[in-house]
Amino acid sequence: MLQRIASGDPAAVRECIEQYGPLVWSIARRLSRTPSDAEDATQEIFLDIWRSAGRFDASQGSDKVFIAMIARRRLIDRLRKTSAEPPMDPVETLDTIAWADPGTALETSIEAEQATRALAELRPEQRQVLELGLLYGLSQSEIAARLDMPLGTVKSFMRRGLIKVREFMNVDAEGVLSEG
Amino acid sequence: MSDTRPQGQPDEAMVDLLIKQVTEGLSPAEQRALDVLDTEVASAYRRDLERAAAAVTLAGSDQKPMPEALAARLAQQAAQHFSSSAQAADLGAARAAGEARIDQPHTPQRAANRFGALGWLAAAACLVLAVIGWERSPAPPAPVAATPPPAAVLPAEVPPPPTPAEERAALLAKSDSLKVSLGATKDPAAAGVTGDVVWDPLTQRGFLHFAGLQANDPAVHQYQIWIFDAGRDKRYPVDGGVFDVPANTSEVVIPIRAALIVRKPAAFAVTVEKPGGAVVSGREHVVALGTTG
Repeated sequence: MLQRIASGDPAAVRECIEQYGPLVWSIARRLSRTPSDAEDATQEIFLDIWRSAGRFDASQGSDKVFIAMIARRRLIDRLRKTSAEPPMDPVETLDTIAWADPGTALETSIEAEQATRALAELRPEQRQVLELGLLYGLSQSEIAARLDMPLGTVKSFMRRGLIKVREFMNVDAEGVLSEG
Repeated sequence: MSDTRPQGQPDEAMVDLLIKQVTEGLSPAEQRALDVLDTEVASAYRRDLERAAAAVTLAGSDQKPMPEALAARLAQQAAQHFSSSAQAADLGAARAAGEARIDQPHTPQRAANRFGALGWLAAAACLVLAVIGWERSPAPPAPVAATPPPAAVLPAEVPPPPTPAEERAALLAKSDSLKVSLGATKDPAAAGVTGDVVWDPLTQRGFLHFAGLQANDPAVHQYQIWIFDAGRDKRYPVDGGVFDVPANTSEVVIPIRAALIVRKPAAFAVTVEKPGGAVVSGREHVVALGTTG
């Protein structure tokens, strides 16, 4: 689909909105301060997707990870530009997160399943740091203040958590490559 | 994924910068520092971290449907984007620009530190807390709307956003939200005032609910919310925003916009201040106060 979008196929663009709209909207809601911001961000993200579709390389990951990467870049950029405003006033409350279990995560994407397995190996406080930082866009300083945790600890948890996920993804990828 | 991965590992400082870049963005100074360090190894590592962050995002996404009106706007936006040959040519250029952007992560500007200015206030006999200072962000706070925009200004197909009253009701229903009764003070402007606060410590959202609060002329004065945080120096209450009470309004629900994270809310207060709010409150007019204890 992304290759068809890159060639300017209007039908593919409509399919893209239908297929990825809920994913983009989900990410935008959590990384935006207001519903209005989330809607504006969603429109910007789709423009980015259409403009970047030609770069999608299936050997580098799934389409959903590609979309999520584009969405995260745009949303982080927007959050930075509005960082003079009060801390997060999220569209969603923080208690609504439910990590997927590996089975259902696999339905989302192989990477989501890998991430879920990696998260399961982290301590609860480490997962919480990743959750606040990656799903709700809090800065490391904001996480430290909110959890009453030293900034160095937050950095350490974020680092270990991301590296753990990265390891799971790379190990799996290398496993697939070696099997192939 | 490892087919073209360069050999070697980035050093610790670079990893810290890369993680910050993919999770919250870098300041210009940090970006310059990373540019100096940046190598092919760093680029590959950043790509891996971005993929990891995206994977975690996917694992935590609930993927609810978009609002229909937003989907319609996207379809319209798509039609405009792809509709003409001129736009198709633009698409090619834009695609090239998009490619460049994907390869070169954004370098957003860091906003000025909003927590830089602290104000102190001497003596305040009327408050329960022995507070002598107020903390404010440098710029006067934007007024907090007491009511949502009229539905008539919205396109017919766009569902109206929840009103503050509806949001407050939802927050009240949460078992872990904090409920605080507000009492009127002896200030003449406080006569007959009753109210309460509901506050969610986790999301840092909350609402004031008032009955009997006098209407104000925003050109003359405005009401201002303050939050006393037991996790901070008592002399530095957190600014919660300014608001107005329209004429002929019996009850108002005001969203609280805390300028700083409130770790342990101990008390909420409302003062009367000059238009735009006070950087350093004189606290001559404290109209309501409530403590969590």
